[in-house]
Parts: sequence; structure tokens; C-alpha cells
Amino acid sequence: MMAFPFLLTCFVGMGLRYWLFGTSLAGWFAEQNEIVTPLTSWKRVTEGLSLFNLDRSPYEGDIFHETPLVLRLLNQLNNSFGSSLYILFMLLDLLIAVLLERIAKHHGRYLLQEQARKISEYSTEAQDILLKTNALQITRLIIVAGYLFNPYVVMTCIAKSTAIFNNLAIVSAMLLTLKGNQTWACLWIAVAAYLSFYPIMLVVPAAIFIAQRQGTDLSSPQCISSVMKTVLCTLTSLTALLYISFTLEGSWQFLNSTYGFILSVPDLTPNMGVFWYFFTEMFEHFCLFFLWVFQINAFIYTVPLSIKLRDQPIFLMFMLIALMAIFKSYPSYADCALYLSLIPLWRHVLPQTRNNFIVVCMLMVCSVLAPVLWHLWIYSGSANANFYFAIALVFSTAQIFLVTDLLFAFLRREYDLLHGSKPLIINGKPTEVILE
Amino acid sequence: MAASIAIRLIFFILLFGCVFAFEDDFHEELLVKPMKNGQVYTSFQFTTTWNVSVEDEKSFEHYHLFSKSLGEVLSHYSVQELHLSLTQGLWHYEKWGYPVHDAPPGAELWVWFRPGTENIDQTWTDLINVLSGMFCASLNFLDHRSVVTPHLAFRPTGVTPSHHQRLFAKNIRYATLPNENVCTENMTPWKKLLPCGARAGLTSLLNAYKVYDTSYHSLGVHFRPICMSDDCSVHGVELVQSLAAVFDPTLTSRSQDWSLKKLFARTMSSSCPVASSSIAMVDLSSNFSSPFTLDPLPSREEIALRGRIKVRYAVYEIRDFARNQRVFNLAAKYKSEMSFSANEPPVVHAQRFQTGYGQAKGGVMSLLYNHHPKENIIVNYLEVIPWFCRVYLHTLKIESFDKTVHDISANGTIRKPMHFHYVPGKDRQRPYHLELLLDLPPNSVTRLSFEFDRALLKWTEYPPDANHGFYIGSAVISTVVRTAKHINDTSESFFLRLHTETLLITLPTPDFSMPYNVICLACTVVAIAFGSIHNLTTRQLIGGISCGENAVLV
Repeated sequence: MMAFPFLLTCFVGMGLRYWLFGTSLAGWFAEQNEIVTPLTSWKRVTEGLSLFNLDRSPYEGDIFHETPLVLRLLNQLNNSFGSSLYILFMLLDLLIAVLLERIAKHHGRYLLQEQARKISEYSTEAQDILLKTNALQITRLIIVAGYLFNPYVVMTCIAKSTAIFNNLAIVSAMLLTLKGNQTWACLWIAVAAYLSFYPIMLVVPAAIFIAQRQGTDLSSPQCISSVMKTVLCTLTSLTALLYISFTLEGSWQFLNSTYGFILSVPDLTPNMGVFWYFFTEMFEHFCLFFLWVFQINAFIYTVPLSIKLRDQPIFLMFMLIALMAIFKSYPSYADCALYLSLIPLWRHVLPQTRNNFIVVCMLMVCSVLAPVLWHLWIYSGSANANFYFAIALVFSTAQIFLVTDLLFAFLRREYDLLHGSKPLIINGKPTEVILE
Repeated sequence: MAASIAIRLIFFILLFGCVFAFEDDFHEELLVKPMKNGQVYTSFQFTTTWNVSVEDEKSFEHYHLFSKSLGEVLSHYSVQELHLSLTQGLWHYEKWGYPVHDAPPGAELWVWFRPGTENIDQTWTDLINVLSGMFCASLNFLDHRSVVTPHLAFRPTGVTPSHHQRLFAKNIRYATLPNENVCTENMTPWKKLLPCGARAGLTSLLNAYKVYDTSYHSLGVHFRPICMSDDCSVHGVELVQSLAAVFDPTLTSRSQDWSLKKLFARTMSSSCPVASSSIAMVDLSSNFSSPFTLDPLPSREEIALRGRIKVRYAVYEIRDFARNQRVFNLAAKYKSEMSFSANEPPVVHAQRFQTGYGQAKGGVMSLLYNHHPKENIIVNYLEVIPWFCRVYLHTLKIESFDKTVHDISANGTIRKPMHFHYVPGKDRQRPYHLELLLDLPPNSVTRLSFEFDRALLKWTEYPPDANHGFYIGSAVISTVVRTAKHINDTSESFFLRLHTETLLITLPTPDFSMPYNVICLACTVVAIAFGSIHNLTTRQLIGGISCGENAVLV
């Protein structure tokens, strides 16, 4: 039933990419700081590969920041694809779209199971907000179309940003978690963490989800051992990946060029995050302190969110992916695009969101103004760094609004499920739902 | 009168005794080269040789003619060879040919350390700080961010130690400071290293007002170990102090005539008494195209062979003039008032410029010219790019063109370097270091280009005049040519070192007045996220009626 629209979407999405790769936009996107960062730029990868092919370690310099396994993989791919490498990026995008469709399918099934399990606790007046099977069916198409036609995704793909590998690893980890495949989920989380460090946080929702499949009570010994197993499995895989890298590379020098580079933020190339200008303008003796503050900030949300959303680990995973995209040291549209593509999974909470319009406007304004102000600053000399930074701040703020709004909407829907979707009338006045 | 003669006699006996005991020698030399375009190149060279081994630290305890302050430093920091130049202005190879001592704009320092020197990087740091104080120059900025160990471009110019040859090859450090301003405060300490100071001999000509009013001037200090005997069994050291200036007499008067008085606003009435020789030479090669007569007449004329070309020099023994109590004012009078002609470009020369626009990306392009009609010339090209220009090696492109082709935007023949040495830079730690061995075909222009990204620095890393820009030091081209013109040498092949233009690049700058605002705004954005999530995760939703400030809970 759904096969034709799926194929059509994929076909048009691929056609769009193929067409854009042929235009001059490809070169322009590949140099835009909003789309590629020092970590993901294909130009830097080319430099790394050329050094690697000269039998020199690309980690000697400060241009290349991919991990050793990715270096060898990319070298292999570059040699086999040659000038048609863009096809690889198109195929990877298609693969992510397909994985997202699988995620939507499994997630839909999971939501219905959860709903069926908890239906006895729900208010009788919450009938109209309960999930329907056919609505979940359409989500699968929406998520694929939402991914393939998301301008941020398209730009990332056209720019040949290596963030696509990171996104692929995260999406795979999410799918395998949903499938309850403990070993493979752990492995993919380890791969994602190996690629860009921050996704190590995803081990928390994955562990909770897998444990909950075995027993509902998280404090039961069964669950605790499952959580331990997930954490250990992830850490073992990560260690193994690092050790393989070490044996291939012959030294630990790569750690400094990859994770050291992510954590200590030495490259202040402008991007859409909060780090670059902050550390450009920071007083020398406070740099280390604020570096710790900002990096801890990226991780700290794991704790309160894991406690609050312990019964909804997949939503927790989504929240962590989103917060990671906002607060990582070198964010780009690629990270933003990933969680934006996942939003259709929670289509049913969207009616409860409050600032959609503002957020969409802010994102659109930023996307248009960022290259304009960049041009004014760097090429015309008629603006300065503050202008671009302002846009980066607005973009971060918009994302924060969006993410916190989604969290609110999700909690609000949970509340409505328990208390009914219609407001109570007391003394002729409708009640409001407030935070206490 | 008799007493004064006696005192002089005793003085000279003592002096010669000392000279004999210390076995050191001092020579002063001035080369004046009138160029066809009316400019006058003057090159002073003060040479002190000393019959001690550079490795014998004991011998650096007693000094005679050799400068004590410098000798102590060289001995303490295990220096085998040292070359320092402080230059203002660019040497125009195309117009002026090759100079006696080549130097890039700004400061350049390269040092060979003795074999067995421990922790060369630390020794280098200590040495630059000492030299910085000694020459009143900002040499202390030649730190690990700009220093490299050249692979082929610099070889020892003097005797090399016979043992540890392989290890010794890594004992060199090279750094330049292209934005160094050179002025009187550098020349005064430089003069103090000379045995006669600024009081007698050729140094008395060095008038800072005039020397620093020229289009090019360069100070140099070159120290090296040399052979003192024909079979090189006895080693000694040599200190060459050089000063070069290019004057333009036509700027101030309507004639091409020049004299020492006109150039330096001084004349010389004595030679340095401790100098073994004190001579002035005038290059007569431009005498054919724009004839001039010299006054006074030279002591003698010498003919030097430069490869296959003969060059005549008029030589003056300054001591003869000093002995006869005559003021030495060398002057040239031209037959016609103005008789300019263009110089032929030398065999090899280069131009370098930056490419691209905007403050995000950029590139460097060099054009290397080989004017030789028949022979290939092999050159070594050294490029040191500061870390804030992130060089992409894969964009390196070398193409050669026929010299007659003027459109260099066209595609030429792609050439591969014969040898290749690359050390990638590291942020805030070391520069990008590229060395290429290139084969330049005869009568050709070779275009070499690569790209870089400009970094955004921390606000404290910018100099006070951030928008002035940052300098990239000269590229160094080293080569051996068969028949170079303009070099005073008679051997079959000549070693040549050329420096290209320095480049001034602008980096993107942050707003320096903004630190508090930026910190506040960025923290606010983080606080929005933290606050909202804190709010949503630590509190729970409940139903109620809002009645003004109080909510009635259900």
C-alpha cells in the first residue's frame, strides 16, 4: 500500500541530490561554516587522505580530525569511488532514510504496546488523544519525506560532510535499541561515540530501554544486571575500537587530534554554536574553567532527563540527541537535521507545543541571514563578528525553544493521558495546567 | 713630540705582540657598485678571524679583536654557526642583481648548534632572548611558533664537525620575523661588536641618518668556523659583520654623480688601526653603459672573473690615504647628467604574492624564473607559513610555462617536485614547513601555488593593530648556478640564496570591545536551556485555576 509513495519520495530525494551535486552550490555548501565544521569538512578529509597516501600521519598536523578507522574507510571509499564519490553520500542519505522508516515502524509498534499496557491507568476522557494505528502508518512516510527533503539534510549531503557517518551510527543505534538487540545497539553506540564522542550519552536511554523489556521495575536485580551489561558492552566495544585504531596507527597521537580537539576546542572557526565566539573573547585565565563548564553542560542534562523520562527512554534518547546537537563544541546543520528528522516520531505531541511558529521563523531567518552576514563580515568588511555571532545565538536559542517546547508538550500529553484532554471546570472556570 | 712618538711606538709594539699572541685578524672592506639605473649599492664587510677552535670552550675566555660579548654568548650556547640579518626594504633582484649577503625583509636568524648540544629547542629559546637584548631587536618572538629545522635549504657555510654528521643535520634552527622594524637602535649595538667601534675606519662613514634613509638597508652578523690552513688541519672562527644600503643619489639632486660625502654626509680621515687591511672597491661594470670618472684615482685596478664574465674593480687602500693625512672622499662624476638603462634580470629570481579575496580563505603563489637559455636549474624552495594560515598540501600545484607566455592564468606543464619535505603545522605550536626540490626548465617561469584557511584567533593573540594584518615570511630559494652574473667569485659554480617578498595577510578579527557582552549573551543562552530543562524535570504538571498571583490547586 505504502510502497509507491515511498519509492517516489526516495526517487525524488535522490534526484534532487543528484541535480544539486551538478550545480555550483555543491562547492559553496562545502565551504559554509554552518554546514561543515573542522571536524566534518571534506576539504580537510582530502588533506588527511593525501597526507596518509604520502605515508605521513595526518595526525601530525592540525587539519585532519577524523578517527583512524574512518580515515582508512574513507581512503578505501575514495579510491574505489573516485570522482563519483558523491553517489556514496547519496546512498548513505538514502540508507539513513530507510533506517528512519524502520525506526518509525518499530517505534509505532512500541508506542502502541506501551499504550495498551498503560491504558487502564489512562483517564476515560483521554480517548481522543490515544494513538491510532493508521496515523502511525503515515508517520513512516512523513519521516522519510521529512528527512530526504529537509533542506539541512540536503545541504549536508551536498557538502559531503562526514557528519553523515555520525548520523548513520546514531540512527542505527536507535533502531537496534528499539529492536532490543542489546549487543548490536551497544556496538553502534560505541561507533557513534568513537566518531564524535558526545553520543556516549546515548548509552543511558539504551540501557534503560533494554532493561525495561526484561522487567518493568528498574530497581529489580534483573534490570540492574541488564543495565550493567549494556554499559559494559558499550565501553568494551569503544575500547576495542580505540585499541584497533591504536594498533593501526602505532601511537595514541590520534586521541589528541580527535577527542582532544573536540574537548579542548582549539579551532575557533565560526559555526552555529555557542563555543567559538565565547572562547575567542574569553579572558585567558578563565578559559579552562569555562571550557569545563560548557563541556559539562553538554552532558549534564543526561541526569535530570534520565530521571524524569525513565519510563520513556526513546524520547529521552531523542532529547539527548537534540541537546547534543545544540551544545556540542562544533555543531553544524547536520546535527540539527538529525533530530529535526526524528520529530515526526512524536507527531502526536505536536498539538501541545506552544512556540512552533516562533521557532520556525527563527530557524528560517537564521538560515537565510547566516550566509548573508558571513559574507558581509568576511568579504565585504561591512559587518563584524558580532553579527554572525548574533545569528548563531538566535539559532541556538531557537533550537533550545524547540527542544524544551517538545519536552513540555510530551510531559503535557502524559498529563492529559492521565487526567483527560478536556480541562476540568471548577466554579465555572476552566482549570489550567501549571508546573508546581 | 718625542714622548708621543715613544708612546706610539710602545703602543704598536704591544699591539703587534698582542696580535701575534692572539692570532686574530681584522679586515674592513667597502664595495660600491653604481648600478645602471642610477642607484648606488654600498656593501660594508668587517671580517674578524681568530685562530681558535669553535669546540674549545677554554679559548673563548680571552679576547682581543673578537667581540667578547658575542663570543661569550656563542660559546655558552654551543653555537657552531650563526647568521643574523636585520633588514628594511626589499632587495629587487630583477633590477639590482644579487647582493653580497642575501637577506629577507625583517629579521632572519639561522643557527647551527654544535654536535652533542642537549635540548636544542631550549638552547634556541635562551639564545634568541640573549640576542634580542644584544641587538635591541624583537628576536625573542622567534619562538617555537615560527622556528623550523630546514631540511635542505640551509647547509653549514663553514667547517663541519667530522663526527656525528647524521645527528648534526638536525642541529639547525631557522626563523624569520618579517615585521621587524630595523633602525638606529639595532646599528649601535652592531657597531659595538667591531674592534674600532664607530670611531675610526670605514665605520666612521656609517651615519644612521643617511643609512636609514635608503630604499634598502641590511645589517648582518655571520659567524662560522673556518679552515686556517690549506689542508684544514687547523680550525679557526670567522665573524663577518656586514652592512648594505642602496642609495638613490638622483632623488636629491638632478645628477647621477655620487660621492661618499653625498651618500653618507661624512668623509673618512683614518683607517682602523687594528685592521690588517682596509680597502674600498668600486665595481666598474656599469662604466661602459654610463661612463664615469673616479676621484681620487684608485690605488690599483683588479680584474675578477665571475664565471666567464670579467669584472673590473677600482681598489683603494685606505691606509695610504690615512697615512698621507688625506681625507678620503671617493666620488664619481658622470660624463652625461643622466644616463639610465635597465638592468638585465639575473639568471634565477622569483616573485611571490597572495591569491584569493576575503578573510576566510587565501592562497600563496610564487613565480620562479629561469632566464638561462639552455640549462635546467635545480632549486630548493622553502616556505614557512605561520600556524594561523592552515595550509592544504593537496592544493599544491606546480606548473611551468614558457617565458614568452604572458598569460599565467593559462594551464602549463604540470611538474612534480624532485624531492619533498613537509612538516604540517600545529595550532599555537609550530608553523607549516614546506620544502620542495624543483627542476626549472630553461627559459621558463614555474608557477607554484597552494591554498590556506585563515584562522580566527583568540582576542589576546592579536597584536594591538590587529587590522594591520599578519606577515608571512619570505620564501627561501637556494640553488647552484653555473654562470651567475653579479657575483664576485671565480669558481665554476655559485651557491645562491634568494628571498622572496613577505606577504601581509589580514585575518578575520573579533570585536575587541565585546568580551563582557559575549560572555553574558552566550551564558544567557545556555541558561535558557538549563533553566527550562531544570524547570520541566524537577517540577510536575498539575491542574489548577489561576487567580491573579495565587493558583488554586485541584
